[in-house]
Amino acid sequence: MSRRLPSRRRLTRPQWAISVGLGLAVIGFVGAAQWNSSLARTEFITSAQRVLISEAEQAQRQQETLRAEIEAADERVQAFQEQDAGSQAALLQLNEELAAARLASGLDAVRGPGLVMEIADSLRPVPEGESGTPYLVLADDLRDIVTALWASGAEAITIAGGASGGVDAERVVATTSIDGAGSAILVNSARLTPPYRIEAIGPEGLLDRFLAHPTYLARVARRIEVYGLQFAHEARDEVTLPAFIGNTRMRWGAPVAEAE
Amino acid sequence: MAGRIAQLSLFAVALVIGILLVGQLRSQAPAIELSSLSAQELSQLIETLSNRNVELGDALSDLREQIRSYELAEIQGQSTLDLTEAELERIAAFGGLRAVEGQGIILTMAGSFDAKAVNDLIYELRGAGADAIAVDDVRITARSVAELGAGVIEIDGTALGPTVEIRAIGSPEGLESTLRRPGGLLTLLEQSIDAQFQIEQRTDLELPATRRDLVPQAARSVE
Repeated sequence: MSRRLPSRRRLTRPQWAISVGLGLAVIGFVGAAQWNSSLARTEFITSAQRVLISEAEQAQRQQETLRAEIEAADERVQAFQEQDAGSQAALLQLNEELAAARLASGLDAVRGPGLVMEIADSLRPVPEGESGTPYLVLADDLRDIVTALWASGAEAITIAGGASGGVDAERVVATTSIDGAGSAILVNSARLTPPYRIEAIGPEGLLDRFLAHPTYLARVARRIEVYGLQFAHEARDEVTLPAFIGNTRMRWGAPVAEAE
Repeated sequence: MAGRIAQLSLFAVALVIGILLVGQLRSQAPAIELSSLSAQELSQLIETLSNRNVELGDALSDLREQIRSYELAEIQGQSTLDLTEAELERIAAFGGLRAVEGQGIILTMAGSFDAKAVNDLIYELRGAGADAIAVDDVRITARSVAELGAGVIEIDGTALGPTVEIRAIGSPEGLESTLRRPGGLLTLLEQSIDAQFQIEQRTDLELPATRRDLVPQAARSVE
């Protein structure tokens, strides 16, 4: 004589069996997708491209290592500067001047109120016979955004790329160039790809002043409207921007010696 | 007992799904980006990355040299104030807070031009490797931009006349060839605005320090 299972057990066993079944189905699906995508990728990459990709990845890793080493070396130099056996008063004054110069030149990480904005290529289909270039974010767009931000009172700006392979945000300093390089944009010679994230620190109302600035209205806003570039912005109570990492030594000039 | 098995099975399944999903997402992002580039684009990317790495390598060498100098002074029991003073001068010159001298070019632009032309020329010179730039008597800092003021173009509050002189410290040949390259900015400006350009290579340029107060009001240093 068979014994009836309690009603609770009768219900739970099929439930977990279904859950496990569904889970296994998802694993199968994701596994197949992974397998297929890796097949598709290798199928269309030539051996020459594979070598180039490997070289590019190596160069990117080298760049990350160099940036980390520069940060560490810079910290050591600053540690030396803060401890001197000589006059403490002279040392204090010199370090204050040095700190002020570093801050004004973009060589210190900074924090403060500001804004975050992102701009990316248009998702609109390019009409037949028309060039696709205006539907992309161009170096000119980033230059105009940076120009409008400075003119609106920004005190510090960084630009980061969306898929830049782990490369940090680039701080905009006195020597910063912004140039186009195919579908990417070079900022401080670092290759950034969309979406581009621009962060800035400035006195209250920075975003409102930026959005009302003629450089933004006449060029960037117009391109956003006409070509459908994706654009989002937000004022923030606090943003933190990294210091500039790169060469600060002049190659073709030198500071003018101050008259005694 | 059966409940425990069910829980463990679900946990194992969820774990495997999670690992697979993360693996899939991670393998997609940068790899697909690089694999979608043509051989020519990849070569350009490698060149760009290599150039950037050379710049960063130079910066690292400079810092290591500084560390060696500080260590040497420490071993010899000497004050390092001189080294720090030199560092202050260097950083201040980089940021536009000190006057600088050196070789470079003078670009004269005369005629009818707008603020964008001035800003584009500044960006072009930076891209060509200029160490420092001044427009007329205004030293260009990170925050200096040309914009239309009360009917005239202004930079850092200084009005520009119908003829401007842009002085840039850098490789004279490199700066001039970048500006004059076929299809470059000068060609574009000559076609789009009614202005005349003249470039002169110089070995004796002197650029002033900025007169602008660059002490930030909202931004503070992260300790």
